[in-house]
Order: sequence, then structure tokens, then C-alpha cells
Amino acid sequence: MRLAFTVRPVAWVLLAFTVLAALWIVHRSPMDYAMQDRDHISEGRSAQHSTGTDELGRDRTVRTAAALLLGLAGAVAASALASSLAVSVGVGAAFAPVWIAKSLMYLCDLFLTLPWIFLLMTVRASLPLNLSPAHSAELTFFLLALLGAPVFVRVNYARAFAVRNAEWLLHGRASGLRTMQLARRHVLPHLRPLFLSQFLIYVPVCLIAEANLGTLGLGVTQPLPSWGSMLQELESSAMLAGSHWVYLPIALLVVVLLMLELVLFEVDA
Amino acid sequence: MKIWYLPTLAAACLSGVTATAALAQAGNNEIAWSLKYDPKTLDPAKVDDQASETVRYFTGGVLLRVNRHTQQFEPALAASWNVSPDGKLVTFKLRSGLKFSDGSPLTSKDVVATLQRVLLPATAAPAAEEFLTPASVTVDAPDASTVRVHLPKRVTNVGKVFDEIAIEPANKPSEGRVTAGPFVIADYKRGESLLLKRNPFYWKHDASGAALPYLASMRLDILANREQDELRFVRRQYQVLDSVPADTFDQLARRAPGSVHDLGASLNTEQLWFNQAPGSPLPAWEKKWFTSRAFRNAVSLAIHREDLARIAYSGHATPANGFVSPANAVWYNKQLKPVHADVSAALRLLAKEGFHKTAAGLVDAEGHPVKFSLLTNAGNRSREKMASLVQQDLTALGMQVNVVTLDFPALIERLMHSQNYEAAMLGLSNVEPDPSSMMNVWLSSSPNHQWNPAEKTPATEWEAEIDKQMLQQAEAADLKVRKTAVDRVQQIVADQQPFIYLVYPNMLCAVSPSLNGVEFSVLQPDVLSNIDSIRWKASR
Repeated sequence: MRLAFTVRPVAWVLLAFTVLAALWIVHRSPMDYAMQDRDHISEGRSAQHSTGTDELGRDRTVRTAAALLLGLAGAVAASALASSLAVSVGVGAAFAPVWIAKSLMYLCDLFLTLPWIFLLMTVRASLPLNLSPAHSAELTFFLLALLGAPVFVRVNYARAFAVRNAEWLLHGRASGLRTMQLARRHVLPHLRPLFLSQFLIYVPVCLIAEANLGTLGLGVTQPLPSWGSMLQELESSAMLAGSHWVYLPIALLVVVLLMLELVLFEVDA
Repeated sequence: MKIWYLPTLAAACLSGVTATAALAQAGNNEIAWSLKYDPKTLDPAKVDDQASETVRYFTGGVLLRVNRHTQQFEPALAASWNVSPDGKLVTFKLRSGLKFSDGSPLTSKDVVATLQRVLLPATAAPAAEEFLTPASVTVDAPDASTVRVHLPKRVTNVGKVFDEIAIEPANKPSEGRVTAGPFVIADYKRGESLLLKRNPFYWKHDASGAALPYLASMRLDILANREQDELRFVRRQYQVLDSVPADTFDQLARRAPGSVHDLGASLNTEQLWFNQAPGSPLPAWEKKWFTSRAFRNAVSLAIHREDLARIAYSGHATPANGFVSPANAVWYNKQLKPVHADVSAALRLLAKEGFHKTAAGLVDAEGHPVKFSLLTNAGNRSREKMASLVQQDLTALGMQVNVVTLDFPALIERLMHSQNYEAAMLGLSNVEPDPSSMMNVWLSSSPNHQWNPAEKTPATEWEAEIDKQMLQQAEAADLKVRKTAVDRVQQIVADQQPFIYLVYPNMLCAVSPSLNGVEFSVLQPDVLSNIDSIRWKASR
């Protein structure tokens, strides 16, 4: 308890500082994340490129900062959407007739058993080819939200079901509160801690999932930098031997995940 | 100090182990390397994949051998051969005293039986197709050392077919266990390794009269993992690495100095093309762009091929200007000029077609923004890098390119079946230098005529001209006539750019400095083509 109390503000400050630093780098750097400096490929630290360049001569600092911003923004949005969907379906099932609730739960279970990596490859292959990199990022995180929602549905359903059968809710209904009023004043406030936990748990999951998809060549397309595409560099043993700065994206990913875990730890505590 | 000793001790142990491994191999007079996958067949008549071809090359005794270094025919089991003036009769005179690896004599009877088996439809031998009409080909043997092959019509470059037919004992096909080549299959463990032992009755001898091959055995491990392959080479457990990827070549050069070789341009090409199929589900204006010669030439002119070679292949590729690589000395058209990037010239070409640049990018005469996707396969790092470089190059023209990487089955589905794509970037492996082997790409009726597959009649005049020239070179007996026709096709392709050639990846390989007599070639097998003359250095 004491440890968490000490660590949480530090984690928040570090996270905020990292995001602000990334924003500053992306907006103030003379380099664009897509700009190829073809005379300086796979180089280490230099006056022009503070953490060196990638295999195409693109500035690693700018690309890492942009990947961090894109990853965090996408993960936060995907997590919020997944949690909202889970709460909506869970609450809807709890207040629906039993057969609908059961059908929804079975549907979620079925959804969880599907081999998603193969389905994602199929989905990617059947998408329009002219999807811009920005749209590919939106789609990636939207898919991650859809994939994450069923994981949380059952727990939301259980919590909402307990609330539905609570005596104080029956009192509220007996005293003439309408469904929306009940939901706003009583049900949703009871689900808020659960929503917040789900949201915080799923943010790092989304970050890691995007990174994994990117290393498989799925997800965000070039030249938009993402953690996944940046980690692809680590597959090249020649790049690993070239410069230690090639580890920057993964080091930053670990730091961000650690900070998110510390924030989450405080919430749990 | 302890920290210092530990790695030193480990290194000493490791070098001890590897040196022991190498010495053991040298003592056994054995070399080892890897095949990336199991041979599909050990039957030399049914070979149609590279691993099986490699095994056949080392075990099969053939009538004629294409010298991979000079690209000329050399008599092998045949002491001499000739083709009649009308091209319909090929006569071979066998060497005297030929024997199979089991000591049994090899006579014209065995050659006839082998050729007849290859020609049988039931055998389904890929080599039979090269006779054009295998059902009408007959073979006879007037005496024990003469073989005659009767062809219904002339077959261009007919000698090459006999480089692919390994002679086996009459009516006793042994799947490489009894051979007339330098080695014989001694053991095969599927998924693990293949052991080849020296053929003690091999016909060839060196200048001093010593029997060849020098090596007692070869071990070919089945190993798909490229990094494992390199590691074993560095540890001297393997003596050969073929097809080294460009991105690890320099690193390997540092880890195993003196062993890596950049042989220059290979026969393979990397190219991009636009979908010109009239039946594709693309908007009409995109079809108009892609069928425009000026549009394709402008794209070609905007690409910095030197950068592709330098960056995507770490300098181990050669900028391309046509479908025949300069490594193909006989057929390369030396009149073709290299393509140097010239954005101004590209913009002038586009302007003539009504394209113009706006603040948002390039638009066509009807105001459509020039935006298209470039499809390539996921997992090929060099190709993915090239796609990103081309994407950047084309922004100079105001074109917006989306690079899309797909897994291979999905890619092939779009290219070959749905034709739902705009541009694609892939490579083409040319196993043979003869342009006849490229007919399946260049004839407009072919399903592999990628930019517009399986045309009922040639869609354009220049495609009709390519058809005409390619057929002419396939039928002509005179090399000069063939060369003129192939040169013309190369010129048409350079003018029309149906394929925009980017680079010729270099042939990269690594060979242990402990081996003597290794000759390199751009033809398969690229490293050990003179396997019978290779030996461990005496100093070992």
C-alpha cells in the first residue's frame, strides 16, 4: 500500500513527461517520420540524428516518438471502446430475458475460441488495398477493441446481474425511477470501478498486441511508424550489430508498459 | 580477472569443438552443408524442385553437362555427340568402360531404357516436355556404345535436355542408389539429412590420372532456419552457404573472414508492374494510367535504382534495365542503356499525357488524384525496403503510393485469380540462361504474362511483336537469329516498361577457405558446380 502510494504519482509524471517529450519531438524536429536520409542509413548517433537512423535512413528519434504517440493514443481509444462495448453488452444481457443473456454469453465464448491471428490475416487480405496508413492504424486499433470486448463481457454481466437483483434497485424501481434514470444513477456508478480496471488492464494489452501484429506485417502500414514496425528492425541481426540505438523502441515500450503497470497496481491496491 | 577468463575459456572450448568438428570432417574427407527442405523426389526422372535438382546434379551421370562456369556443353558419359543438319537426329557415342556405382557396366541399352522411361507419359518427367512432342520421340541403339534420338522436329538448344536426364540401370530405377554420377545416395533420413558417398566407378579422372571425385562423402542436412545455417558455417560445421541474404552478408564477412563471395549480378530480377488486365475490377481512369506507356516510363524514370541496390540490398545488387541480367553473357543486350533517375523528364512525360501537379499531389487530365497501392509479399525484408524506397521516390512526382504486404497465398490470389490489385512488386528466379525458358512470361497467351495474363489475342502491337520475336527465337536454329530476336524483345520491354525492372540481386555465397578448387557460377548449383574437383586443402 505504501509502495503503491509512493510510486503512482511518479509513474503518472513519468508517463506524462514521456508523452509531452514525444509530442515536442514530433512537432519541433526538422525531420519528418517518413523522410529518408539515404546518405545516412543504419547509422548510430550523429549531429543530425540524435539516436541514429533506421535501414531506410529515417530518423529514429522522430519515428520512436511518433510510434509512442500513435501506440498510446490507439491503445487508449481501443481500450475505452472495448471496455464500453463490454459494459454495454454485459448490462444489456443482465437486464434482458434469460435466453438472450445466455445467447450473448455463448456468442462471446465462441468469439474467444476463434483463431484470431489467422482471421486477422484473412481480414487484412480482403481489405481495400488503397487504405491509407492513417486508416490502417484506425482499423488496427478498432479490431483490437472488437477482439478485447468479449474478454470482459462475462464479468460485466455478472456484476450488472448482481446489481439488477439488489434490493435497493427494486426500491428505486418501486419509487418510480425510469430505466435510464436507474442506469445513470445506480447501475453505471456501480460498474465504474470495473470499467476503470478493464480500461487500464487493456491499454498495455493493446500496445503489446499492436507490436506483435506489426512484427508479423499486419497492422499499421508504412511509412507511419508503429511499435510493431519499429520492432521489426530487431529481426535483422545486421541491424542489431550496427547500433545499440536500435533497441530504443523496445526499451521505451518496456518503460511505458512498466509505468502503466505501476498505475494499474495503485488502482488494484 | 575472472570475468576476463570466463569468456576466454568458453571461446577456447568453442573453438576446440569447432576445430574438432572441422578436423573430423577433413579426416573423413567429407563436406557438409544444408538443403532448405526435403527433396520432393529422389527419382532423377521426376525432379521439379531445387532440392531434388541439387541431389540429381551430384548423383546423376548425364550424357552432356552444361559447364556452369562457361555455360557451354561438355561431353560427360558421351564421348562425343552431334546433331544432324535438319535437327531431327541426335547421336551420342558413349565413353568406353563406363560403369555404374555398383560396378555393373553402363551401355547404350541403359541409356535407351532411361530415355524411354523419361519419355513415357506415365513417368510424368518434367524433362520430357522439353522435347516439345515427347510421344513422337524415339530412341535406339545400333551398337553398345551408340545412342540415337529421333526427333519429329528440331528442338532448339536440345543439348540442355540431356543435362537433366540422369542415366540409370536399364529397367532398374534406383532413386539415386545406383548412379553414374560422382556420388551415390548412401542414406536419407527424411527431415534430417541426406548422406552422399563417393561413386568408386565414376568415369572422370584428373590430369594426373587420379580418380574423381576427391571427396569421400557429402552430408546435406535438411535445415530451413537460415540463422542456424549461418551459425553452423561460422562454427565450421558446414563448408558451404548458398544464397546468403544481402542483409546478413556483411555481418557474415566479419564473422567468417575470407569465406564470403559476392559473385555479382545473378540471373534473377526484381520488378514492379501495373495491372493492365482489361477485366480487372479497377476504375476506368486507373486502367487508362496503367496502359499508358508515358505513365509507366515516368514511374520508371522516377525510381533511383542505385539507391535500391545500395540500401535495400546493402550494395549487393545491380541496378536493372531489362529482363536479361548482364550475368547472362550470351543473351544480354549490351545496347540497352542503364536507367538513371530523372524526375524532370518523368514530369515532362506525364505532362504530355495531361497529368499535372497540384498542392494535393499529381492529378490526371480528368482531375483524379494519382494514388495507387503497391502490393508485395510479407517477410522479404529487401523487397519491403525497396517498396518503401519506391514509395518515397514516387512522391517526387506527386504520386501517393500505399505499400501493402500480404502473405504469399493472399498475394497470389489477387495476382492470378481476382486480379484485384493496382501495382505489384515481386522477383523472378531464372534458373536457366536460355530465353526459351522465359516463354511462359513473355507470350501474351500465357497465364504468367503478369501485367495482362492469358490474352486471347495480343492486346497491343508491341505485345504481338514480342510474341512474334519470342516464337522466332524458339524455332530458329541459328544462334545469331535467336540473339537478334531476343535483343529486339529486350528493346521493346525497355521502351514499353510492362515490367519496370529494378535490380538484379547479386549471387551471394560463402565457402570455407579450407576447400580447394571451388568454381563459382550464376547457374544452379551456384557454389559446388564442379563438385568432382573440390577437395580439402592439404595444409589441413
